[in-house]
Amino acid sequence: MNAVLLYLLLLKASCTAFNGMAAIPIVRHDLVEHRHVLTDRQLNAAVAAARTAPGPNGLWMVSAGYFVAGVPGACAGWLAAVTPAFLIVVMLRYLGARADRPAVKSAIQCVTLAAAGLVVDAAIPLARDAITGWATLAIAAGAALVLLSTRAAPVWVILAAALAGWLLA
Amino acid sequence: MLSLLRLSSIYTRASNLTFGGGDPTMAALQNELVARGGWLTPEQYGLVYALARITPGTNMLAFCAGSAWVLKGWPGALLAVLGASVPAALAVVLLTVGYQAFRHNPHAMSAIAGTLAAAVGMMAVSAWQLARPQMRRGKPAVRAVVLVAGAAMAGFGPRVSPIVLLGLAAAIGLFWRAPEKA
Repeated sequence: MNAVLLYLLLLKASCTAFNGMAAIPIVRHDLVEHRHVLTDRQLNAAVAAARTAPGPNGLWMVSAGYFVAGVPGACAGWLAAVTPAFLIVVMLRYLGARADRPAVKSAIQCVTLAAAGLVVDAAIPLARDAITGWATLAIAAGAALVLLSTRAAPVWVILAAALAGWLLA
Repeated sequence: MLSLLRLSSIYTRASNLTFGGGDPTMAALQNELVARGGWLTPEQYGLVYALARITPGTNMLAFCAGSAWVLKGWPGALLAVLGASVPAALAVVLLTVGYQAFRHNPHAMSAIAGTLAAAVGMMAVSAWQLARPQMRRGKPAVRAVVLVAGAAMAGFGPRVSPIVLLGLAAAIGLFWRAPEKA
């Protein structure tokens, strides 16, 4: 399949889903069921590769693109995953000009608070998956304590956690 | 002052050294940009975070584009998205080629398990740091607790979309104002 067409099909999926993973059913419909250029097993491997790799899970499109069309396909997948991100600038421009009004300020404060609740929510399934025993619980608590009480950069916390995970396994 | 080089390095590290998807990365960026750097206020972070949730596509990449645009305009937004996605995309391609071999390597898997656990701790800290500026005694704290707990609880009940939830919070904020700091 031509990389430009692949880009447009993947872009359609990434632009109509509000989360990297929500685009999967759309891509499955187009590439697996309709055009038969990707298999279900490949799609699963793509999701697994993106979950195993660091970075956003939405980059499963890179892997799916690679399965369909090799390196040009991977580039098409990457471009389709990053393109919609820039739409946020348009929204920020519009809201930024109004941010000083008291009602807007209060609305933004409330959205920030709800966002904190959503972060807790997102952490719960991750915690169920990641905290499997005393060692991982200690790593999670240790990371939180270090971040709260020192100015250590997260990158060191993550590297120390990888070392601890390896040593405590 | 935050230079473009420093900005790219922050986004590149936060995205490519964090496993577990976008939320832990946004927590790491919050720590770097708000708590340690002081380049973004918690309100700016909250606004970009909320808008990233309603931007189509991968929320975390929209967050990178938006927060870096606030800090350094278009050059910042481009560099942040490139830094956050290109190394990870290369890793995805490599893993696609050699996924089977990696999955059966116990050393790699236990190191990754450690980073996933740290990501959980990092997210708990992130939630606290977002809410803390609003946790002033009296009315502001009541409003803060109601909103944080309400949003977190909504995840347990019938599935409400985060977009609806954040919209509802904005509507509440228009009417329920906390007194300004004295």
